[in-house]
Amino acid sequence: MTAVMTVKQVRKVYGGKNEPQFEALHNINFDVEAGEFVGIMGASGSGKTTLLNILSTLDQPTAGEVVINGQNLAALKGDALADFRAREIGFIFQDFNLLENLTAYDNIALPLSLQNVAAKKIKPAVAKIAATLGIDQILTHYPTEISGGQKQRVAAARALVQEPSILMGDEPTGALDSKSAKDLLETMTQLNEQQHVSILLVTHDPFSASYCQRILFIKDGRIGTELKRGQQTKQEFYQQILQVLGRTEQGGD
Amino acid sequence: MLWKLALTGIKSRLRDYLVLLSGLAMASAIFYMFEALALNKSFVTSNSPVSMAFLVFQFGSVLLAIITFIYLLYANNFLLSMRQRDYGLFMVLGAKGRKLGQLIFIETLVIGSVATVLGLLIGLGLTELTGHLLLSRMHLTVHHFTPFYGPAMISTLIFFGVLFLLAAIVNQVQLRRTPVLTLLHRDTQPTHLQRQPRGQFFQSLLGLILLAIGYWSMIKIDVLKMSSIGIALVTIVVGTFLLFRALFTWCLQCLKRREHFAYHGLNNFVLAQLQFRLHDLNRMLTLVTLLFALALGALTVGMGFQSQLHNIADVSPYDVVLHDPTAAQQKKAAQLDIKRQWQVDYKVVKGTVYFNRAQFTQPLLAIHQSTTTSQKAYREIKPSELTLAKQQQWQQTLNDWLRPNDYGHPVRVVDAGAYQALQGPHYRVVAIQTKNFYQALPQIKQLVITDNQENHFPSSVGLVLSKYQSYELMNSLVSGLEFMGFFLGIAFLAMLASCLMFKILAGAANDRRRYQMLGKIGTRSKLLRRSVNREIGVLFALPAVLGVVHVLFGLQLFEVSGLLTHPYRDLLVPFSIFGILYLGYYGLTVKLYQHLVLPKFK
Ligand SMILES: Nc1ncnc2c1ncn2[C@@H]1O[C@H](COP(=O)(O)OP(=O)(O)OP(=O)(O)O)[C@@H](O)[C@H]1O
Ligand SMILES: [Mg+2]
Repeated sequence: MTAVMTVKQVRKVYGGKNEPQFEALHNINFDVEAGEFVGIMGASGSGKTTLLNILSTLDQPTAGEVVINGQNLAALKGDALADFRAREIGFIFQDFNLLENLTAYDNIALPLSLQNVAAKKIKPAVAKIAATLGIDQILTHYPTEISGGQKQRVAAARALVQEPSILMGDEPTGALDSKSAKDLLETMTQLNEQQHVSILLVTHDPFSASYCQRILFIKDGRIGTELKRGQQTKQEFYQQILQVLGRTEQGGD
Repeated sequence: MLWKLALTGIKSRLRDYLVLLSGLAMASAIFYMFEALALNKSFVTSNSPVSMAFLVFQFGSVLLAIITFIYLLYANNFLLSMRQRDYGLFMVLGAKGRKLGQLIFIETLVIGSVATVLGLLIGLGLTELTGHLLLSRMHLTVHHFTPFYGPAMISTLIFFGVLFLLAAIVNQVQLRRTPVLTLLHRDTQPTHLQRQPRGQFFQSLLGLILLAIGYWSMIKIDVLKMSSIGIALVTIVVGTFLLFRALFTWCLQCLKRREHFAYHGLNNFVLAQLQFRLHDLNRMLTLVTLLFALALGALTVGMGFQSQLHNIADVSPYDVVLHDPTAAQQKKAAQLDIKRQWQVDYKVVKGTVYFNRAQFTQPLLAIHQSTTTSQKAYREIKPSELTLAKQQQWQQTLNDWLRPNDYGHPVRVVDAGAYQALQGPHYRVVAIQTKNFYQALPQIKQLVITDNQENHFPSSVGLVLSKYQSYELMNSLVSGLEFMGFFLGIAFLAMLASCLMFKILAGAANDRRRYQMLGKIGTRSKLLRRSVNREIGVLFALPAVLGVVHVLFGLQLFEVSGLLTHPYRDLLVPFSIFGILYLGYYGLTVKLYQHLVLPKFK
């Protein structure tokens, strides 16, 4: 197996020269193999969003390096960085981040038109991903006219339409009710198992995490425990996650 | 409790309120100043040429009233959009609709009165400043000119009072009619395109027809007189609105349907952005178009008058004509930079003026009748042409030489013998053509004044004007007009700028979210910038193009009525001045907007 993403010695210090310094990330190291479904868990303020922003090229690490699909992110600047983000990274946000003035179809088509894909090729690409995510019935609707779960599927479709190397999500189920959250997670699992999409999911919800194959626990900017699902069922894995969480919380106090 | 909530709402958006308040205050300040200058009897009646300027000012103040009205509509809309979300939230928390209606009513009135009073104070200062500037430009001295003018104050108060009362009522009704959910999600409600192509077609057609009527009525001002302006104002305002409402929507739809265009880069997004606030844009673009046209028109006309000043004022080929000059006058005249000089005598017998043919040794000058250039050409009349058969050609030029009292009498040129035999008062004339009339103006002024003192009789004052006097008269009128042009131009541009500012502030929060998101999914920052440029570019370009067309037709008013002889000849300068100013505003708006909405990734 080859690594789709390698994170080496990543540090992040907030605060400029004359400001109070705060080390949000402290020497983070891990890999994501191609086709893997990895979760990152941690309490509020542990540095999950900070890490994901760095991995998704929205922010730069103070030290260390990130390689995605063979490309060192530090070597990218300006347009090349934007293009890399558009092509290689699919991102779903907690608050959907759809353009509410475009229809679902147009939202999904946006990354393709940004890459100047011919109009003829856009239609089949959108139709294909919409069918996979079960949103082909609502493509002509505007975001205000569809439910939260549907919005997040549209956002996922938009993230995946370019067939990126890796799909990242920062609490994508955070704004969804449990039914919609479950549906979305099952769809992601399906994408992972059938289409071999690599996924990196940030969450603090043990139920969401139990869908992953491997979980990295982050605490105060450091990766502590690593948990592998192996042959366990989801329920067993869920219990195991709860145990780890209980232990780390006791250990933290 | 509700009051406290309302007040905190205001506090949290203090900056927006300040923008609104300063915009409204400027509107009332400009209105007061205009009224104070336009209605001020003490300076209107003090000098005859100013009465023309007075008419112009009256017209200007009617325009200003209309513009201010539209401007207030827009500002009020901005106020309402600021408050709707808050009030929706209050309603969810259980506040009664009636109570909130009262609240917005009072809020509108309070903001209105504060702005009006503030505006009056600023207006006093502005009037003091511009009043004196205007008077000195028109070479007028008015005793006790004060910026405080009661009637103007009252008309400003009434005008703004009525408008704000109307606005308050409208706001109250609007707020109570709108469902709570709509209030809460005001900003995120996509305004879908109307899907009635037929209605849109008729609206486009009606708009075009109305514009055609408006243009036609301006061309026909000689037939329609003042009603032409009334018709044009109504039809052009409504026509412009319909055109934007229908035509603009239609164009957006067409572009969206063209997949090659729509699904390329951020085009679809820009189209959606423009579509999203379609209703706002309709009104705003109409307003901006009208302001643009008025401002550009005022500037063009003002400069047109100035550039034609030399032409209009050039009533005679002779720069100075002295009658029976004293030694002192002759000495002064000799110091002029003389190109040609004539010295002849004439006698007045029984209401007829006689010249001595023997004294005409060099050609006379006459104004070329068929001249079209800005500098009038002179034609020479040889002494041999001073015959009875050709007298039509030389009567006028010799009339220019007569004392005001003799002006208009029939003129004869007789042989030396006959001249000697004539019995009657005789006068000596010295006529001078200088090398440059405008450079010699100060010395000419002195000569003309002393000559007038000796040869003018009260009955003839103002009837016959020397070249210098007619220049002075035209100069005062033209300065007034030009001043008005610049003044209106700048006032309108200022309103235009704050309208666009409202648009930016009202929409930036939402747009920011969108642009940040686009950045996150990997849009190149150059593309983002270009899309901002395009969005705002469309907002600026559409009204500019339509505004220029309005102005080109509007100049017909001046061409047909004869106020300007060549309104279309000197378009380059005013159009470039305006273009540069307008482009400046565009650049500034784009920069501001980019600063507000574009993401900054490291
Ligand atoms: N721009 C910033 N400047 C300074 N400190 C920051 C900045 N952003 C985040 N931090 C700090 O870094 C730490 C990690 O923040 P981060 O947003 O990554 O947490 P998180 O794990 O995503 O939390 P949550 O689960 O609440 O979203 C926090 O202590 C936060 O206060
Ligand atoms: Mg977070």
